[in-house]
Amino acid sequence: MAVSADPASQVQVRLFAGLREAMGWSEQLVELAPAAGRANPAGATPHQLWRQLGLQPAHPPAGVRVAINQQFASWDASLAAGDELAFLPPISGG
Amino acid sequence: MLAIQLEAEPFEPLQALAEWYQLLAAELGMLPAAESHFVGRVRPSGANDSPLTALELEHYPGMSEACIASLAAAAADRHGATAVLVRHRIGLVLPGDAIVLVAIGADRRGPAQRCCQELLEALKHDAPFWKREWHADGSSAWITGNTAL
Repeated sequence: MAVSADPASQVQVRLFAGLREAMGWSEQLVELAPAAGRANPAGATPHQLWRQLGLQPAHPPAGVRVAINQQFASWDASLAAGDELAFLPPISGG
Repeated sequence: MLAIQLEAEPFEPLQALAEWYQLLAAELGMLPAAESHFVGRVRPSGANDSPLTALELEHYPGMSEACIASLAAAAADRHGATAVLVRHRIGLVLPGDAIVLVAIGADRRGPAQRCCQELLEALKHDAPFWKREWHADGSSAWITGNTAL
């Protein structure tokens, strides 16, 4: 996966449990791809990152959740440079 | 009053409660009038009834602790509980060993019991932990849901 030399456009992406093992990596710095008509990549969403990273299946399963900077977030939340984005497979604690 | 702890090694629930009592006595001056406790242990068999050698608990360091604290504070506030204890295992847990201990102190049994059940369910659904079953043949499988209530 492309790693940018410009930290101003990067987010740290983390995977856990079965999702981590299915994809074969646990974390990486990812450059936010500029969205169409938007020069600044900030504002990209977790949903866009899921597609950009080629995570499978192509459409996120219903049980998979998103956390930004270690707080649950929406798939449509805006990402900012320096954010930590985590894709969380179905939770089974307790 | 919240006491939250993730445990990388086996813990004994009764010992954990004894330590909590000491903490409560020191902080509150006396023990709450009502308590409710839940202890969850690893079953000897997995989702497909095959014997388990261990259950692995993965978590999201930092977020899991913050989630437990937030869920515990919210539940305690909703039910008027005065004290919450959560001890939660991470790593490999053997059949019969405790995975989680939730203890609630309140002025009456109703709030204590309701808070305990609500917090336990919240931990199962809204704190970033994942369970993987390990079997005798070396195979393993991530659990993608929770057991029935």
